[in-house]
Amino acid sequence: MRLLKPIAASVVLLSSCVALAQSHPAASSQTIAITGGKLLTVSHGTIENGVLVIADGKIAAVGAAASVKVPSGAQIIDAKGMTVYPGLIDPETNFGLTEISADEETNDLEERSDEIMPHMHVADAFHAETDLIPVARLNGITNAVVAPASSDTIAGQDLFIQLYGNRQQMMLGNDVALAMNYGAEQRRRGGRGEGGRSKYPSTRMGLITELRQTFLDTQAYMAKKDAPAKKPDSDFKRDLKYEALIPYLRGERPVVIGVYESYDVETIMKLAADFHLKVILNHVTHSQEVLDEIAAYKVPVIIGSIYDAPRANERYDAVYSLPAQLAKRGVKIAISSADAGGPVSSHSSRNLPFAAGMAVAYGLPYDDALKAITLNVAEMFGFGDKLGSLDVGKTANVVIANGDPLDVRTDVKHVFIQGMDVPQVSRQTKLRDEYK
Amino acid sequence: MGSRNFPLHFFVRLSLVVSLSLVASAQKPAPEDIVFSGATVMTASHGTIEHGAVWVHAGKIAGVGTSVSAPATAVQVDATGMWMTPGIIDPHSHSALDGDVNEATSPVTPSMHMIDAFDNRSADLYRALAGGVTTELLLHGSANMIGGQAVVIKNKFGLDRDAMLFPNAPGSIKFASGENPKRVYGSRDQLPSTRMGNFEVMRMAFEDARHYMAEWDAYDAKVKKGDKDLVPPKRDLKLEALADVLRGKLYVQIHCYRADEFLTEEAIAKEYGYKIRAFHHALEMYKVAPEIAADGTAIATFADWWGYKDEARDAIPWNAVMSMRKGVRVALKSDSDDHIRRLNAEAGKMVHYGGATEDEAIKMVTLNPAWIIGVEDRVGSIDVGKDADIVLWNHDPLSNYARAMKVYIDGELFFDASATGWGTTHFTGVMHDGGDFGSEDQEDGQ
Repeated sequence: MRLLKPIAASVVLLSSCVALAQSHPAASSQTIAITGGKLLTVSHGTIENGVLVIADGKIAAVGAAASVKVPSGAQIIDAKGMTVYPGLIDPETNFGLTEISADEETNDLEERSDEIMPHMHVADAFHAETDLIPVARLNGITNAVVAPASSDTIAGQDLFIQLYGNRQQMMLGNDVALAMNYGAEQRRRGGRGEGGRSKYPSTRMGLITELRQTFLDTQAYMAKKDAPAKKPDSDFKRDLKYEALIPYLRGERPVVIGVYESYDVETIMKLAADFHLKVILNHVTHSQEVLDEIAAYKVPVIIGSIYDAPRANERYDAVYSLPAQLAKRGVKIAISSADAGGPVSSHSSRNLPFAAGMAVAYGLPYDDALKAITLNVAEMFGFGDKLGSLDVGKTANVVIANGDPLDVRTDVKHVFIQGMDVPQVSRQTKLRDEYK
Repeated sequence: MGSRNFPLHFFVRLSLVVSLSLVASAQKPAPEDIVFSGATVMTASHGTIEHGAVWVHAGKIAGVGTSVSAPATAVQVDATGMWMTPGIIDPHSHSALDGDVNEATSPVTPSMHMIDAFDNRSADLYRALAGGVTTELLLHGSANMIGGQAVVIKNKFGLDRDAMLFPNAPGSIKFASGENPKRVYGSRDQLPSTRMGNFEVMRMAFEDARHYMAEWDAYDAKVKKGDKDLVPPKRDLKLEALADVLRGKLYVQIHCYRADEFLTEEAIAKEYGYKIRAFHHALEMYKVAPEIAADGTAIATFADWWGYKDEARDAIPWNAVMSMRKGVRVALKSDSDDHIRRLNAEAGKMVHYGGATEDEAIKMVTLNPAWIIGVEDRVGSIDVGKDADIVLWNHDPLSNYARAMKVYIDGELFFDASATGWGTTHFTGVMHDGGDFGSEDQEDGQ
């Protein structure tokens, strides 16, 4: 058996150390100074020959070598010739909701029994020990939004995670956003699960009417819930579905709306305006005709997949150039790792920086591209003061690579999460080392 | 390891089709002589030439170096600041078939010909061309143990269907084993629903083919002896195709994932006396690479796709480079109407995963897939005598920043990104939707 070979044995030893480390991680108390690298701060430009100091799991200092004093006793990491940048944040993944896509037993992607499911909490299903997370982490992904799949109009509530630690440490924010979707995919048009027969809502008219009624019902529920303060109401019974929608109808948390076609964007945005939802648009893949309108909504937009095929007869780069087109119009954008042809493929999350690089190839300014996978995502989901840039006081999620982070050829050398130098190990590196 | 010699009659069908076809292009004929100068020329066969010069004469590469001695009348293309590679070659595509990928009504369908489904107006071809892809092997899907016969195309988008066929390319046939045939037939309570069933279906098919060949051999022998009153055996297209496999007339391209399956497939190939040209997907090749290298079988694999099905669980992105270092000829392929648009950047990932050199990485999407298809003496590198299938990039093609700016096939410009509209030079009319097929394995995941 191969595992008994000495090399493999050392892998086992190493991996058991990792397992140990993973079971008791905490913000590192070690002070670390990363010196000599090119710092891509995201928030305040590039610093050549910079120094970044990490203390107590946070960024304690950032600046040019001449201006930052390296604390005595700090562990020095020489990053000469390297690029140092904030950990990348993937705005749409299924981490911990899937393991092997085709193996349904490993999937908790979505509750398909009804299309209005705001009371589904991704946090309840999140499997922190998934093999997918270390694989993505190796390429510098340190945080992600975990969302349900997309065939329900209201699929549930998203979880915001960091990609290291024990389960509680990883779950930075439960129910950070409501996952909504609108378009052809959500119609109940027979096929899987419906015995081949359509059921309500089988058209866009049905989808919108059902959503509008749901929001009205929630408002009525809210009024009734508030009433007992004035007049005790023994009839009042808590309804988890409506409860789940309250913060979103109050505009307290964002609603991520996955939508592809331009006419669908216009329809769903009308509904969102009627109920004052705080919208983040997602995909907008085939909405080139309404980009000015999208800009006028003044809402942030997640683009993914940038690799989705344009319509037949459209120019080949109609989707590749979407981030540039939106950014040019002043839209705050994020880019997700989604593969083409499907809503999400979290196995490909490690390719997140390359999608941003693709956007640069098709006209997006470099700084906007890096921001679209760091600070902008953090801000969209309420973590702008903690994550997404190299700034003093932020969580020390920092990546060191041997080149341009958005280029496929670049090697990531270190990934720090909460100041911990996370071992560059995944199930895949173990297989690689076993068969070397 | 050059291509095997195929008997002449094998090519008759294709070459007749090609020579009879009329090219309905209103375009000006391509210039007789073109000289590209100033580019960083990545030859794929003999390294990179900085500020290189490449002379194209009558659709073939006539000179490569730091300078060339072309006639003064040659059209000059200043490619200063650009990168040049051979056209990208995809050895595993299901594009432009309008979804007609699997004749999944029987596990043995060797007489299906993908050319019969080929839609030369598919937008998938256009988008691949815009990614620098000049040659594709369009394969049958993986529902069947023994699927259909492939068609090799040159991506001359805008020409007639038959003008897009790669002239005199050898034939390939698609085999598959593992989860896909298990699922397709198992879900109907048919054979094969297990890997035992998978491989026995193949053996039974080859037994039938052997019997059929023996019948014909006996008949031919009697005819040769002068017997004139014999009734010939019935011609059977399916058994004829299987006989062609056993006669070594078709390159065998096998979809399979697991290490044990590579070994079983090689054993069956030896048992029945055929060679396996390449394993496709081959995500576990790193586990048994020396054994497979010894059999001379190549692989066409993904750069980093994994986890979409159980047999892709042990996929690692170092597979390609590790297998290459252990002697296996490695190509990257798309199996996707998405990845086919950016195979150059998929090759770039191999620099990251395992430290491929630039030459090795470029070879994985040019010369090595050309070998898998059996056209490596014609395309796949920038060498004198080869077809002038050339891509000019605005950036190092191993980076995801690179865009294919100009794509030439047989010395003729077929795509120009700087042109308005689509950037196509020959296409007019309406493009067809691709047939809603991202990848057979993406489809599997549902």
